[in-house]
Amino acid sequence: MTAPLVETADLKKTYILGKVPVNALCGVNLKVEKGDFIAILGPSGSGKSTLLNMIGALDKPTQGKVLINGVDVSSLNDNQLANLRQSIGFVFQFFNLIPRLSARGNVELTLSIAGVGKNERRRRAEELLETVGLKERINHKPSELSGGERQRVAIARALANNPGFLLMDEPTGNIDSKTATEIIGLIKQLNKEKGVTIIMITHDQQLATQAKKIVKMFDGTIIKEIDQQ
Amino acid sequence: MKVGDVFGYAFGAIRLRKLRAGLTTLGVVIGIAAIVALLAISQGLQVTITDQLQSGFATDTLVVSPGSGGGIFSGAGGGFGGGVGGSGSDFSLLVTDTQIINEIGDVVTSAAVIQEVCSVQSGDHVVTAYVVGVDFAVYSEIYSSTFVAETGEILLNPDNGTAVVGKRVSDPWENGTVLCNVNDSVDLVWTNTTVRPATNETYPVTVAAVLKEIGGFGLTGPSDYAVYVPIGQAQSFFGTDECDRIIVKLANEDDATIKAVSKSIEDAFGGQVSVTSSTAVLSIVSSIFSTIELFLAGIAAISLLVAGVGIMNIMIVSLMERTREIGILKALGMKSRTVLAIFISEAVIVGLLGAVFGVGLGWVLANFAARVFTGGGFAAATGQAAASGGFAITPVLTPTVLLGAFGFGIAVSVVFAIYPAWRASKLKPVDALRYE
Repeated sequence: MTAPLVETADLKKTYILGKVPVNALCGVNLKVEKGDFIAILGPSGSGKSTLLNMIGALDKPTQGKVLINGVDVSSLNDNQLANLRQSIGFVFQFFNLIPRLSARGNVELTLSIAGVGKNERRRRAEELLETVGLKERINHKPSELSGGERQRVAIARALANNPGFLLMDEPTGNIDSKTATEIIGLIKQLNKEKGVTIIMITHDQQLATQAKKIVKMFDGTIIKEIDQQ
Repeated sequence: MKVGDVFGYAFGAIRLRKLRAGLTTLGVVIGIAAIVALLAISQGLQVTITDQLQSGFATDTLVVSPGSGGGIFSGAGGGFGGGVGGSGSDFSLLVTDTQIINEIGDVVTSAAVIQEVCSVQSGDHVVTAYVVGVDFAVYSEIYSSTFVAETGEILLNPDNGTAVVGKRVSDPWENGTVLCNVNDSVDLVWTNTTVRPATNETYPVTVAAVLKEIGGFGLTGPSDYAVYVPIGQAQSFFGTDECDRIIVKLANEDDATIKAVSKSIEDAFGGQVSVTSSTAVLSIVSSIFSTIELFLAGIAAISLLVAGVGIMNIMIVSLMERTREIGILKALGMKSRTVLAIFISEAVIVGLLGAVFGVGLGWVLANFAARVFTGGGFAAATGQAAASGGFAITPVLTPTVLLGAFGFGIAVSVVFAIYPAWRASKLKPVDALRYE
């Protein structure tokens, strides 16, 4: 039996705010298999962003383990963590594009970080932007794009290095509802047609119902897992 | 990430903040320009002064002056001495002392020199010049390349009442008006201060030859600003058997000979004379200039260090502004050392641009300053006649200075960027992404 794509074991994270310890995660156990589309649902402060940061190797747990393809993230050094992040696609609520780079430049940046050559990354960036429906806007800078378009660029960027899975932090949280519907359509399409594993956090009940599985969080623990298939 | 991509990304970041990057670079430009300009000028000045000293200053000669501490330069002291005949002792060097010197081994010959300041009058024209009494035969043997007639002839056994004049005595103003030519008579007017009351004594002489132009200061050798008369004539003019100095021609110019003969001469006169070699003078000049250059480079380096602090300041501000960007880069999988490399690359680009423009600007400044120096003021720049006596400086930009300025400019930029770059590389992605 192969290890799950992502597995957390008794994951705990405690922040010190001022002098007061805040338990953001209080023993989270989660398994994500290849091809999953999981929506982590919960109110602000439920620990879903903290969980996402742990899974994305952006932050280290206070206790417990994050295993990605069976490898304990805590055991990795700085360089290995960087390599791991190259195999994870991030999509942020506020897009987090580099403002001075064009849509293509942003996608190419991810590829160049992974050491992909110039011609290959250009070809791939154009292909990905076409996939997300931005073929005509590849030379536009983020400031010249709408919120929905920016998030499409962010999704194209996240897909650039053929990641093992996509981590999405409120991907529709900062765009209008019509565009949000389009974006969620795109996400579902990626999961269904290309088999991309997706872990998405949201506080939007409606959006969560689009996922194959809903994980409900409250006060740093998983309170319910709903399989929707 | 490939090296080219790192530089490309760094360059893009610089281009985004053109004004800020431009001002940061300007600091480096000014620092480098100051170093290049000051060193190019001082090295040019050194070359000029060395040339001037060497012209009319044969390297196989020694100058013997009376007084233990008072050579033309005091050789041992490493600095300028008390000037001609500057000691307080009663010792005098006599014209006939050449006989003692000539008997020392490795001495080919020697010439006593009597020198006084006189007015040279011809008709309505007057110039001030040195009247120098020398044995023409010996003197022209010692200075065979500079004590040479342009017009007329230097007689080896001249009659009394003849003189050889320097080019600037014959043609002092260089404007077509000539004071005297060959066969002209001029009056040498000497103020005799050894009698009371001091009296002006006038000696008419006939110009037998005009020397070809020598250039240089004529510190010890032939000068463009001198009138040469036979030594016996000078003795009778000035009523003295004492000479100001004796020029000694050596059989060869290696250091051992110079030292040995210098020692022998000093011993022969009981340590009452100082002996200066032209090589000693040149090495003193060289060491003075080394000190000056070090000093100037030090001052200029301070301005470059200020520029370095500017770079550091700007990069720390930039680091704060770009914290989120760094977070994004790290989330995308960029390694810490690549983040470090990007920030260092930005500093390298600033340093490199600063060095290129700095060297250019420094060179322009050095040439401008050289023109101002050469003309004795801004007159030269506006095309007016250069004042005579101003001397030409050609700025010198040696490969050492060029590479040094480049290296130092880039090194300062990089050194001051290390801390901000290191801080950037150490940012935790989750904190950096959260940064507002």
